[in-house]
Amino acid sequence: MGYKVSFEEVNRIFDRLQGEYEIWAPKRFAGKGRYSDTDIVKYDKVSKVEEIEFKEKSDYPAKEVLSPITQSLFYFTEDEFRESKATSKKLLIFMRPCDINAQHHQEKIYLENGGFADMYYQRMNEKVKIVMMECTEGWDTCFCVSMGSNKAEDYSLAVRVGDGELMVDVKDDDFAPLFAEAAAADFKPEYIEKNQIELTIPEIPNKEVLTKLKSHPMWNEYNKRCISCGSCTVACSTCTCFSTTDVIYNENTNVGERKRTTASCQIEGFTDMAGGHVFRKTAAERMRYKVLHKFHDYKARFKDYHMCVGCGRCTSRCPEFISITATVKKMAKAIDEILAEEGK
Amino acid sequence: MNHDIDVKKVRINCYRQSKVAGEFMLQLRVPGALIDAKYLSFVQELCEEYGNGTFHFGTRMTFDIPGIKYENIEACNKRLKEYIKDVDVEMCDVDMETIAHEPVEYDPEQGYPTIGARNIMACIGNIHCIKGNANTQELAHKIEKLIFPSHYHIKVAVAGCPNDCVKANFNDFGIMGINKMVYDYDRCIGCGACAKACQHHATGVLTLNKDGKIDKDTCCCVGCGECVIACPTSAWTRNPKKLYRVTLGGRTGKKNPRSGKLFLNWVTEDVILGMFANWQKFSAWALDYKPEYLHGGHLIDRVGYKGFVKHIFEGVEFNPEAKMADDIYWAENEQRGNMHVMPLSQHEHAGPQA
Repeated sequence: MGYKVSFEEVNRIFDRLQGEYEIWAPKRFAGKGRYSDTDIVKYDKVSKVEEIEFKEKSDYPAKEVLSPITQSLFYFTEDEFRESKATSKKLLIFMRPCDINAQHHQEKIYLENGGFADMYYQRMNEKVKIVMMECTEGWDTCFCVSMGSNKAEDYSLAVRVGDGELMVDVKDDDFAPLFAEAAAADFKPEYIEKNQIELTIPEIPNKEVLTKLKSHPMWNEYNKRCISCGSCTVACSTCTCFSTTDVIYNENTNVGERKRTTASCQIEGFTDMAGGHVFRKTAAERMRYKVLHKFHDYKARFKDYHMCVGCGRCTSRCPEFISITATVKKMAKAIDEILAEEGK
Repeated sequence: MNHDIDVKKVRINCYRQSKVAGEFMLQLRVPGALIDAKYLSFVQELCEEYGNGTFHFGTRMTFDIPGIKYENIEACNKRLKEYIKDVDVEMCDVDMETIAHEPVEYDPEQGYPTIGARNIMACIGNIHCIKGNANTQELAHKIEKLIFPSHYHIKVAVAGCPNDCVKANFNDFGIMGINKMVYDYDRCIGCGACAKACQHHATGVLTLNKDGKIDKDTCCCVGCGECVIACPTSAWTRNPKKLYRVTLGGRTGKKNPRSGKLFLNWVTEDVILGMFANWQKFSAWALDYKPEYLHGGHLIDRVGYKGFVKHIFEGVEFNPEAKMADDIYWAENEQRGNMHVMPLSQHEHAGPQA
């Protein structure tokens, strides 16, 4: 059912939801950007619809709600431990289609990979209800259409923002009573059909080509350009890597907590092993690993789609202006070169 | 050539005497050093019409027009009317009819009325620079309104960050944009980029601790923001409250050039503007109400730091974070031996004279 609801009515609905739900949405933080007098848009709890940033893509993805950058897993005292508690409320999250698709890609890693479900992720994931934010224009770094993640049908609510009002499509019966008094309207969300960027993901036909691609000189460029800061993976809507740390409260007792913290394959030290072995020593090797993971390895493992959803946040957040789409195009060219060489 | 020129009067009008008899160099003020590019063609016209066709970048970020013949000054001044109105009256909201809190007559056809307050220099600041913490132009414009026009000499420069590319440190008052950065423990991934950046660019006050989070030595933080720029997760962000550090008493000169000393730290714009609002009053008192072309730093020397502070902060309220030097011990690069040692009759005295 479609409805047209004023912000005032939306806020009344929010008030009614607050008892049962935490409402999360992209929110603008003035002056909190990387550079002075620039803003950042990231996910936060909201209580009023006016707090939601509808006009700009968030700098950081929706994944932060389900898998916060730092999370306490359990608390321990000598040989006893207690697991941390998840939020008691359900989560109503405003997400664009790219973020919704990204969450499904994350589910594969957290819940299916290795035949083991990550309970800390699962217990959050079970609480999620999605409000799809209609996204028909996109931004200059977006390429969701190329990645097939411009559409998302599995939402509870879908919204289109207007001047002081929302058009709402209610799919989930749980929410229907909230709109009993709202004005019915003919509304179905639309999706972007063409981004400013079109990207064709190259096929890597066999392991031999993959091996040659790994040592192709195209990656060397990133030894000069990439500073290995990890901004791209933190901003990535699909990256899931984390590391764990035991925080000991007092040096003299065995009391503390285990935390998990987002990690980045781009940051030096990510592949450090006991005994001093390091798999990827250079920025170029780390970049190659990330690009192949997003545009080859994940799909090779799970078969149905590439890991990247084309949200373009990695490009937007890179302080060195490294474009992921330009990089994939360079990779496509390198593959063509390798194939031409083989065909000789 | 037979000249009868009052060069002091011409200097007050912002024309500098040339080694070529009868020629002068005009210095056009550009407070904050940013201006609409349309004025470049205006400056070119002045250079070609009244000057010798060359142009010099003034060392205090003025437009310098050399080779203006004395007889052309009157015509040249008439042409300045619009420029002074646009830049000083409109951009900086300067009241041209008040000097040192006293009403004066101002004739816009006569060019600049005073030279005392030197042009306020500024780096490009945060409107462009990725390192800048402050909008240097906006602050410069607000200060211009307080110190110009004035016969009392003062040199001020505004830097967007403590890197001080504008060399504010060599001005009477050197202002630098800083910030008390905010650390979000939960957003930190322990990558250590901030600690590396702080070590490399600044004072090395950040360390990665055993829990994979950051410890900070707040004492030595210069508030530059390198940590914010380096942080991949926005764990480090700027505080919305903009703050400044101010160095005092820096100068160049033949006699006793010296670098400024840390005077104020973590002060708000309100403290800075409150201070500059007292500058002309302080200078008038220090010089016994007889303006002379004496560098502002020398007035502070005469009065002494403690006395200066008493005058300059009259009615100024400090923000809670603010810190001020209890005393300042300037280190001077004495280029002339025994420069402070002289017959008692030559000693300078501040304040009302007997």
